[in-house]
Amino acid sequence: MKLRKALTGITLSLATAIAMTGCTSPAADGTVTLQMVESLTNPARTQVLKSLIADFEAKNKGVKVQLVSPPTDQADQKLQQMLQAGSGIDVLEVRDLTVGPFSKNGWLYDMSHDLDGWTGWGALTENAAKFSKNAEGKSYFVPYGFYGLSLFYRSDLVKEAGFNAPPNSWQELLQQATAIQDPSKKRYGYAFRGGKNGYTNVTVAIEAYVADQIDVNNAYKLSSGKSIFSAPEAREALKTYFALFKQASPPSSVAWGYPEMVEGFSNGSTAFLLQDPEVIATVGQSKAIGKDQWTTAPMLVGPTGKAIQPMATAGWGVASSSKHKQEAVKLIKFLSEGEASIRFTKENSLVPILKEAVDDEFYKVGAWKSYVTMNQKPDVYITAVQPRDASWWTEWAQKADTEVQQVLAGKMSQEELLASWDKYWTEKWAK
Amino acid sequence: MTQTALPTKGRPTSGLGAPSGPRKRTFTVTRGLIVLAFMAPAVIFVAIFTYYPMISGSQMAFRKWNLADLTDTSWVGFDNFTAIFTDPTFFTVLGNTAIWVFASIIPQLLIGFALALWLRRRFRFRGVYQALIFFPWAISGFLIGIVFRWMFNGEFGVINDLLVKIGIVDTPVPWLAKPGTAMFALVVANVWYGVTFFAIMILAALQSVPDELYEAAALDGASKPRVLFQITIPQIATTLALTVLLRVIWIFNFPDIIYAMTGGGPANQTHIVTTWMIETTQRGDYGHASATGLIVVAVLLVFSAFYLLALRERKEVRS
Repeated sequence: MKLRKALTGITLSLATAIAMTGCTSPAADGTVTLQMVESLTNPARTQVLKSLIADFEAKNKGVKVQLVSPPTDQADQKLQQMLQAGSGIDVLEVRDLTVGPFSKNGWLYDMSHDLDGWTGWGALTENAAKFSKNAEGKSYFVPYGFYGLSLFYRSDLVKEAGFNAPPNSWQELLQQATAIQDPSKKRYGYAFRGGKNGYTNVTVAIEAYVADQIDVNNAYKLSSGKSIFSAPEAREALKTYFALFKQASPPSSVAWGYPEMVEGFSNGSTAFLLQDPEVIATVGQSKAIGKDQWTTAPMLVGPTGKAIQPMATAGWGVASSSKHKQEAVKLIKFLSEGEASIRFTKENSLVPILKEAVDDEFYKVGAWKSYVTMNQKPDVYITAVQPRDASWWTEWAQKADTEVQQVLAGKMSQEELLASWDKYWTEKWAK
Repeated sequence: MTQTALPTKGRPTSGLGAPSGPRKRTFTVTRGLIVLAFMAPAVIFVAIFTYYPMISGSQMAFRKWNLADLTDTSWVGFDNFTAIFTDPTFFTVLGNTAIWVFASIIPQLLIGFALALWLRRRFRFRGVYQALIFFPWAISGFLIGIVFRWMFNGEFGVINDLLVKIGIVDTPVPWLAKPGTAMFALVVANVWYGVTFFAIMILAALQSVPDELYEAAALDGASKPRVLFQITIPQIATTLALTVLLRVIWIFNFPDIIYAMTGGGPANQTHIVTTWMIETTQRGDYGHASATGLIVVAVLLVFSAFYLLALRERKEVRS
């Protein structure tokens, strides 16, 4: 009797332990539950996503979607852990930064066969269709939108400083930002990015200076096969770019990342800001500057009158470990088509993936006008793909950020920076 | 306290329906299984959530383990350790860790001690002041880092605003833009956070010092400094030593504030070992990060040994 009690105790303990480790079983009524994990989480976006999921569930009886929204800072690591564990994810947010390592490790499902004959292909913009397949023709994700840069500027300050129009080139930006800079009034020219991801704007400046020679399939490469950092024009780009810091930026912007840059522009401290369209909504809520005091201008061109638009993107993909791939692909198709896609891009201030959305009135007015201008002049604002899907991209980003700060601190020369970056990429490509 | 089923010679027991009273328990298979049954959940959870990650993480230190390419996780021996010790940044990081720990702990101890002495006295609203002083300990380190990051912002931070208005500086200081001032700002944030812990611990110790000692000192006409150095400090010396050792271990292992305030910048100049390890993890190099983690464990073991020795000494003194 006592032995039976003891065995019952052990069995119960083990059962409790197993239950608490989260083992689940499929629903008895045949309902498929998809686990969807986002990574660029923010509360407003999660609400939009939940509402779109509800629409999907209403149209697809028998399929439920459970949205997991880890905090942005930890999201990539959580995703990696879940993918590595090989269970718990069906649909996930895949970014141009993560598609490389995720697919190399075999964590992503190639949707190319499922997307064959998909009616949605015809509705996608050229860029969206291009990013939906990699160089080998594999579809690891379908973009939900694009992040493209534009120049946010204070129209009132530009006018006050005696200029009729916003800057068109990097050189003009230096000139106008320097004229506006007046630290005694707590007014600065340019919201310089010296902190996290500060290297991104450095490379954008270099790309504008070598726009004529760039390989559009790899924005870090010249058509000659050498890196853009080896070009003599890159030196000129750096001179102008770092002069912006010395002459026309807040001294503490050595440490500025995204929040400080956006805050600097929103609170009226800085006159120029190079940022993604998602900032349009944030600046629109500013109480320090009115809607008539700011707008956006197209990207800054280099000496040849051209600029490179480094399209950053993210989208939805399916985990290779998913047991419900068919339903997962169905959800991705739903989110990439019609009203669902247009709503997602509009409410998250993203460059849309659908041709019909580009013609939407929403994208033709106010701060979005500059995107229309850039779309209308593809020979001036050239779209090129940065090698963000390289598995070493995060390593590169950390190295590049550190070296940009070393230049700002005077511990490294601009020439040394270019030589270091050229060596890094040349060696990586040689492997 | 309820006694367990373990044999307890000559002491009352009350386990599993057995009548209380002095009796010697014998080991039986049934009783052993019952003990195992009760222990099983804890053992399983500790094994899964503590030992498995620890062992799994440790073996990564001797492998090539990069999330960018997990198709090759071959053994590399001590290569990850060699890479760490030959990286010049590591020695900057070590130096920063020492500065971070000692520059934080000394003001924390002194201010915490002063606050504890003040809070020991009886005055109106003492409870309110105690609650206010202990409040920072309830806030997440990362959140404190974010708040201080904005407070120390060169252009729109409140610190510069105050300093300029008071007239201490003429122009705003770009605190987080230079390594020296950035480290100073980090230490200030950490001191603000950590003073509380010292105040709590020292106040508890002070309350255990017998009032008779102070009364005798007062009768003898002892001065305040003499009372402090000859009664108060000797009476709470072991607690002070234990608290300092405990805080050394915690601060060494406390990346939250740095991660939120500077991210280790500018140019890696404010990284400590743990923030550097996080950065390595972010680029997916788990082998390198694990090796760094093992180095941290080795260093902390030394401090832990001192801590345990001090703890044993206190127990011996009390007994």
